[in-house]
Amino acid sequence: MKTSAAHGIVNQVLVYTLVGIGLSSSIGVGAVWMREQISLTANANKALEARIADLTRRCEETTTAIAQEQDATVLLQRNTLWGIGLLPPQEGQVQRVTEDPTVRMEAKRNSGMYRDTAAAATVSFRVAAQP
Amino acid sequence: MSKGFASNYRIVVLASLVLLSFTGLGARLVWLHVIDRQELLDTVEKARRQIIIQHARRGDILDARDNLLATSRSLIDLGVDPQLLRKEDEKKWPQLATLTGLSLADLEKILNTRSRPPGAIAAPKSPAGEPPLFDFDFAKSQEDAKKTEEGTAVDEDADDDTVVGDPDTNGERPVQWAKLSDEISESTYASIMKLGIRGIYGNRVYRRVYPHNELAAHVIGYVNRAEEPVTGIENFADLYLHGQNGWVESEKDGHQVELAQFRTRDVPAADGYSVVLSIDAVVQHIAEAELETIVDKYRPRKATIIVSNPRTGFILALANTPTFNLNEYNRLPPGEQFRLRNIAVADMYEPGSVFKIVAASGALNDAIVTPETAFDCSLENVLVNGTPRNLPREFEGEHFDAPLSVADILARSSNKGAAQIGVLLGARRFYDYVRAFGFGQTTGFPVGGEISGSLQPPEKWDGLTITRMPIGQSIGVTPLQMHQAMCVIANGGVLLRPQIIWKIRDASGEAIYNLGPAKVRRVISEQTARTMTHLLERVLTDPDGTAFKEWNPGIAGCDFAGKTGTAQKWEAVTLPSGRTVERVMPHANVASFIGFFPADNPQVAISVIVDHADESLVGGTASGAKVAVPSFKHIAEQLITYLPSLEIQPGIGAASPPVIAMEGGPR
Repeated sequence: MKTSAAHGIVNQVLVYTLVGIGLSSSIGVGAVWMREQISLTANANKALEARIADLTRRCEETTTAIAQEQDATVLLQRNTLWGIGLLPPQEGQVQRVTEDPTVRMEAKRNSGMYRDTAAAATVSFRVAAQP
Repeated sequence: MSKGFASNYRIVVLASLVLLSFTGLGARLVWLHVIDRQELLDTVEKARRQIIIQHARRGDILDARDNLLATSRSLIDLGVDPQLLRKEDEKKWPQLATLTGLSLADLEKILNTRSRPPGAIAAPKSPAGEPPLFDFDFAKSQEDAKKTEEGTAVDEDADDDTVVGDPDTNGERPVQWAKLSDEISESTYASIMKLGIRGIYGNRVYRRVYPHNELAAHVIGYVNRAEEPVTGIENFADLYLHGQNGWVESEKDGHQVELAQFRTRDVPAADGYSVVLSIDAVVQHIAEAELETIVDKYRPRKATIIVSNPRTGFILALANTPTFNLNEYNRLPPGEQFRLRNIAVADMYEPGSVFKIVAASGALNDAIVTPETAFDCSLENVLVNGTPRNLPREFEGEHFDAPLSVADILARSSNKGAAQIGVLLGARRFYDYVRAFGFGQTTGFPVGGEISGSLQPPEKWDGLTITRMPIGQSIGVTPLQMHQAMCVIANGGVLLRPQIIWKIRDASGEAIYNLGPAKVRRVISEQTARTMTHLLERVLTDPDGTAFKEWNPGIAGCDFAGKTGTAQKWEAVTLPSGRTVERVMPHANVASFIGFFPADNPQVAISVIVDHADESLVGGTASGAKVAVPSFKHIAEQLITYLPSLEIQPGIGAASPPVIAMEGGPR
């Protein structure tokens, strides 16, 4: 029928239009959401960069403060001020080891260990006369 | 059926209006998008676009053990815009005064100064204290440039730290920015910001900091407030240190806040490389502490101590007195600018008897003499090219009746003997050796404005020069040249270029450039160098040696070699006739001792050079033996304990460096 055919076309147009509007809206909302996410991510990155820069600056400040405190003049002043009494080593206090130091250290450790063991442990034997 | 509204006339009118509207709209769009496009885009660009400069961090300068010698840290130039201050914030001012280190009265004075009378300020300055883009004051610019070249410090704190706006109806200029402090740390700035005082804000700047103050000041050099390197390694290695600024192209909103999502280009800053020096902060401190002792004891005009590794040419310490604090270079008064001078390379002196090593080495190397060859040191003159020439007098009127061997001449430092060795060698050949040892030319030391010294070719010598130069007169040398000449003997006869830069590292700590020993030339044979070393040992060990008395008892377990030097000083005197002549300054000497150890495998060379020590404090002539030898010994004692790689027991192979174990001693 004529009427039905016209209605069918109108209905199709309406459906397509609604679908088109829906699609367009979805794309629009998606684009806005995407831009919002881009903006949020960019701002988060910027905040992180600022935080890293701030931490780096504070690290540098601390490193500088440590270096200033490690200055020989400052250390000597502290030694005097706090009465610590540290002195630079004299040659007489230095034992110069010319061979492999690990051998010497092992020998020292082993001798101490065996000596200690011998002193601490008491071993007794029961001796029974054979019949 | 009625047609209603839909008459043809009305439809045409309505359609025309709609069409007209759309046409107008289209025309306007064309106008905006095509005709006015560029102008409008420019306006938008100006309003929204921005380029943010990301400042590169200047690299660090470190010593050989990674101790920081120079670093950059961010500081805040804190200021106030008095126009923005609120009444309710005034109760926070005492806390602000405490944090900024200002007295409350001073702070109130700055904060309450809202305007300046006309004429008080010549021209506005940018808030960050940056120089204007164009400075048309050429006379001032040239003067500043000249001062920089001469290494003189400009008082940069003398500037007015106030920015003013346009004058009001009374002619007064409103203060828009007044500096409170330019040394606010990050943590202090955070505390200040927590106070929430409106109108207080800061500009973040990188500023150079020298954690060890005076330590190695002449080597490190400094960067001025404008971030321009002026002297020292800061200037020489600026190419590596300064880094490359980055930038970000972005947009900003109406509140001037960056819209990060519109960043179109992000070029990160490349931080500067770090420069690792061969200087050891502890050795440098030992040298500088010794200089302080020398100053306290003898009040010299100036003194230098150089410590190096003669096998590589790397400098372990280079200390001068007078010196200056790197963090306060701009506070030196005009009369104290000489403190900036690196006298180890920029000043010359007559070396005196230390220079005898050149004539003796040359004569031994050419096999003209042997250590046993004897010379009559009682002679008053010798024949030079058939003409009798006076021989120099011996030190402090000493007289040698018996002939002295070459070994004795060096040990007892006979002037007549050394002069005769020079004559025997011949002017040309002696001159060749002097040049070969590095005199009369720069050593290639990169910092301090090195000079080449004074050495004339034989054609310009007078008749006495051949008898005077072998004893270290008629020649001007720098302390570093003399030190390097001694190193030639210590390292087996090779002249090395003195080096101060050891490594260049990138920002991640990776070494991108390593420097090694730089050989200039072979000067004498290894055999000659060994012979000379043995002869120089006798200066300290022979009971007749010039340094025997001051040296002994020596340092156990290690053999030392060296040579004393005591040189007269000259001054220019204007005669009544108006003529200016040079004459010997009474009671003024340059005392020196340059030596090395262990003698059989030298690893450390030390020079101690003291200029014009007070003889009344020395208790007699300020000789090298009296003034310089004790300091040399004291430094050597400390270095033997400090440097674990030193092989101080004779005969120990070089392959396995000994390990030092502390046994712990009484306090």
